[in-house]
Amino acid sequence: MISKVDRRDFIKITGIAGAGLLLGFPLKSKASGLDAGEGVFSPNAFLQISSDGSIVIWAKNPEIGQGVKTSLPMIIAEELEADWQKVEIRQAGLDERMGSQFAGGSTAIKNNWETLRMAGATARVMLVAAAATRWDVAYAECKASNAIVTHEPTGRKLTYGELADAASQQAIPPIVDLKQPRDFKLLGQSIPGVDNKAIATGQPIFGLDAKPKGMLTAVIARSPVYGGKVKKILDSEALKVSGVVQIVEITPTENPTMLVSGVAVIAKNTWAAIKGREALQIEWEPGAGAEESSTRIKNQFLQNVAQKGSIPLRDDGNVDEAFAEAAKTVEATYEVPFLYHATMEPMNYIADVKADKVECWGPTQVPGRVAGIAEMLTGIPRANVKVNQSRTGGGFGRRLMADYAAEAIFLSKAIQQPVQVVWTREDDLLNDFFRPNGIYKLKASIDNTGHISGWHINASTTSRGMFSGSRDSPHTTEVFPDGFPAGFVPNFRMEYSPVQSVVPRGAWRAPGHNATAFVDQTFLDELATAAGKDPVAMRLEILGKEEKQMHYRDHGGPFYNTKRLRQVIELVAEKSGWYQRAPQGIYRGFAAHFMFGAYVAEVLELTMSASGVPQVVRVHVAVDCGIVVNRAGALAQIEGGIVDGLGAALYGGVTIENGAAAQRNFDTYRLIRYKEAPEVITYLVDSTENPEGLGEMSLPPVSAALCNAIFAATGRRIYKLPVKDNELFQNI
Amino acid sequence: MPIYTLQINNRTVEVEADPDTPLLWVLRDELELKGTKFGCGKAQCGACTVHLNGAAVRSCVLPVSALEYAQITTIEGLSADGSHPVQQAWMEVDVPQCGYCQAGQIMSAAALIERNSNPSDKDIAAAMSGNICRCGTYPRIKQAVLLAAKYARK
Repeated sequence: MISKVDRRDFIKITGIAGAGLLLGFPLKSKASGLDAGEGVFSPNAFLQISSDGSIVIWAKNPEIGQGVKTSLPMIIAEELEADWQKVEIRQAGLDERMGSQFAGGSTAIKNNWETLRMAGATARVMLVAAAATRWDVAYAECKASNAIVTHEPTGRKLTYGELADAASQQAIPPIVDLKQPRDFKLLGQSIPGVDNKAIATGQPIFGLDAKPKGMLTAVIARSPVYGGKVKKILDSEALKVSGVVQIVEITPTENPTMLVSGVAVIAKNTWAAIKGREALQIEWEPGAGAEESSTRIKNQFLQNVAQKGSIPLRDDGNVDEAFAEAAKTVEATYEVPFLYHATMEPMNYIADVKADKVECWGPTQVPGRVAGIAEMLTGIPRANVKVNQSRTGGGFGRRLMADYAAEAIFLSKAIQQPVQVVWTREDDLLNDFFRPNGIYKLKASIDNTGHISGWHINASTTSRGMFSGSRDSPHTTEVFPDGFPAGFVPNFRMEYSPVQSVVPRGAWRAPGHNATAFVDQTFLDELATAAGKDPVAMRLEILGKEEKQMHYRDHGGPFYNTKRLRQVIELVAEKSGWYQRAPQGIYRGFAAHFMFGAYVAEVLELTMSASGVPQVVRVHVAVDCGIVVNRAGALAQIEGGIVDGLGAALYGGVTIENGAAAQRNFDTYRLIRYKEAPEVITYLVDSTENPEGLGEMSLPPVSAALCNAIFAATGRRIYKLPVKDNELFQNI
Repeated sequence: MPIYTLQINNRTVEVEADPDTPLLWVLRDELELKGTKFGCGKAQCGACTVHLNGAAVRSCVLPVSALEYAQITTIEGLSADGSHPVQQAWMEVDVPQCGYCQAGQIMSAAALIERNSNPSDKDIAAAMSGNICRCGTYPRIKQAVLLAAKYARK
């Protein structure tokens, strides 16, 4: 734990108009390992203390439901020694002084932890120094707590408000004391979401609720098949619809993650725009995308995994020899579908493009990317682009793409008026960037001592990296060569072949891991059965008793720690009563996974109805995410990830027919509902390690825990997701 | 375009709209009541739930022309200060994650508790399974409904 930070070289304090203290400082970039279109690191401003005693803390990152509008300001407030009940939290807009602002990769807490602590601590040190100067006493005799500085020997007190002006005249402290975790008062508590009241009373805080003066609404007709182009527009009927103002054709960009070919109906209100679009007649040039189908893609996967992978990723020992000498071998082929993001707030965005400036409102995970797109499409320099951050009705990776913001910017530029682009649910599903689908062929051997001696995985997926034109190898978004049990099985081979498609793909909550954890953790369960071992005991046996730092070259690395993984496995096994016989009628499944720096182990309990429908009643989950910032928020993310992952595993799946998704809305794309959700019991490991994020980590293991429990109940293995697409479970 | 007289949150309002305009868009675009959310447009997700004569209904499929003289309550009309027992419980249990579906969830829960302040698990499941939450807040929704019912009984 860092306790002293040298700040001489990189702190700058600026006085604000009138009396007050505004703190900002430039910081060096922290590599996130993610390309979110960001990368600006310059002076920042996180808090403001006014002479009247009011304290404002800005929440820098997009709030998409992961709780950062509450948890990031908590970190500042802790070090500032502010009174949380009296602090006002404001959402920041895109502001280059704040450094990278985005929501992705569960990085907000870990990447901002030190920065925000320093922001709070620096202000505290300067307030204390101002008090010491005023009293002409030693700094060490003064202490800050609850926004008051006390001179301990005499009991004299000054409030932060009384000190604000003097603090702004203080020199920059060369050394800042950060608090010891044992002294945290706010961090680790359960703090309710700062927007709870606004949400519960229906305040207009979401992007779709914004309405700048003079705003028009656009609903866009896009090609009915992927990659189609507008050939001819007949708009006379659409223009007759009352409220319709104008029809504008959208010119596609070469990059399909930006603008696709379309025709916008711009109207005075949403319903008129929807009706106008219905009346629009368009002739499309379908192009080659019209041929695409899930069948074509699957055949390509099967062809790929039947031969050597085009990208060899790992080859430890000699797998062929291990298989030849094995006492037993097990083979399985797994299949996962495209998944739809299904954010409850459909895509929408507002742009107001003027001659020399742009202002934007709406839901996004990447405000910086929106600003970049605005500059690109309008030629107006980024400095003149203002991006307001609205509360966002779900992200899950969908809003790492800013295609819908590009549409709003394009249209506002075309008509020189503020325009809100609104997607219907059908638009949202048909034009989503799906979780890649894939096939994973596995073979493993068990030697005559009952140990796993060889492991071979040959995977093929519709790489999302390949879709977005990433320069990295297409496997990097799909499979993880250092993931457990790699490094433990002496003979281990991993190979991969990408499949390209016109079907748009993108990051979907716990990208890559949401598929690989299912594959690895169900296959391990099957191997445990083959070896006649308890699935938990077998994992612990593989991990070994000795603490090891395992190389891990993906996001969350460069290492993972076997003791921490072992600890969550043991914790959940003990707390869930794994080693005792399950109660009559309860069937259990286990899975564990490391990703993005956090360790998660789950025991799922289900019952089977008379008609053979599994009902998940309870999930026990143990998590080690280091220091917990907001306990209520942490538990919410863990619970939500489990419910969400369960829904996707049971019901989620998009199929492509004739160049388009066969599903259209929630009647054909099923999400988990209240009556299907389990109780979730969470055990957090008490830790002083630096905190990790939590938005995604509980999701990957749950599909495997579910399928392993289904095996315990039925003796049947699930190799294909969603579960409902297996013959045995068609009446789910 | 015809003019309709509506009773919304105990106020009488007149709106000019096409007869087939869903109540959802009248509320959001004409009356600036943005608390009622657009989710699916097909009565599948419940984000747009309002009360029609006390019953929870999906405003995205209710044409404005069918609603004259009906009593309509939106999330804004439940209580402006958040004092309704369901709103209280929702804040206390810290239900929202992204929060987008929660106005609809609260309206479904409020209609349930209005007619049954001692709901069983089955009653809650029946009342709440029409509202989708992609964030997966269902375990906390359950706690909040039970807490709201307790407040309502007092």
